[in-house]
Amino acid sequence: MAHELIFISGGVRSGKSAYAESLARKAPGERRLYIASGVANDSEMAERITRHRQDRAKDGWWTIEQPQQLSAVLPLIQPDDVVLWDCVTTWLANELYEGFEQGELCVEQPGCMDQKWKELQKTIDAIRKQATRFVIVSNEILDEPLAAPQYQEWLGKIHQWLTRHADQAIEMENGVAIRRK
Amino acid sequence: MHIIFGGAFNGKRQYVKEQLADPSFSWHETELPALGQTAIIAGVEQWIRKQLEERQSEQAILAAVQQLVDSPGERIWILTDISRGIVPLDPLERQWRDVTGRTYQYLFKQARHITRIWYGIPQTIKGDGQNEYLYENRR
Repeated sequence: MAHELIFISGGVRSGKSAYAESLARKAPGERRLYIASGVANDSEMAERITRHRQDRAKDGWWTIEQPQQLSAVLPLIQPDDVVLWDCVTTWLANELYEGFEQGELCVEQPGCMDQKWKELQKTIDAIRKQATRFVIVSNEILDEPLAAPQYQEWLGKIHQWLTRHADQAIEMENGVAIRRK
Repeated sequence: MHIIFGGAFNGKRQYVKEQLADPSFSWHETELPALGQTAIIAGVEQWIRKQLEERQSEQAILAAVQQLVDSPGERIWILTDISRGIVPLDPLERQWRDVTGRTYQYLFKQARHITRIWYGIPQTIKGDGQNEYLYENRR
């Protein structure tokens, strides 16, 4: 099926990224694009990001670092690409807490996140129109009370939108892919 | 007795509103209905937290829940999972998770039907004998 959208969510070290990569590898396509939204906060993280990027490059992936504003990748995407985005949770944190240095957090500005969310929906639709398969990875972090209810509320809203719009929705449990849709 | 279970912001209330056509159910948010009332009870974990903050004992909380379960009338419980985080340092926070977990275990045992909601997608985890892990089984 062309222009397929697949949503994968799981806990930390659940095997979700590896499974997402395998799904992307199986899809027919000209190029494999990996959109990474993680930001290195320390040297261990930076090394890990570099190592992952090198591993993927050997495997024929092209990595785009895009911690925020996903729409910036659109000019780089061509018809028949296979696209993987890892992951929604880091992107959301980067967007919600944007402006930390200036003391003007997006999460505290009325309408700021709504605007970003609208843009994200459009971007996901636009990537899907080009790609043969678009795999989106996220995390399971709504099963515990957090001190960041706004973050949780946005994540739940985004995940629900994704399960509604995806062709497949998959929950990862320790390497086992449970197909929910 | 039905339970709708899942993480926060997963669409549990929305699911109940969409599925339930019966107008005899009254909606109770963060409170228990009177005994014998046909009701939807949501925010149970917040109700438990409030009881603990008011220094109610675990026994008293469980007894109130049991009395309601044993009383006549149909009830739908909307339960938010708060169990998958780290064990907190604060004693009240710890007690809240403990009492909520034990209350949920009691309710799960009593319920005839349990539906887990994962971002709007329902899955029967107790009650109809089918292998609900297969997505094809869902309506």
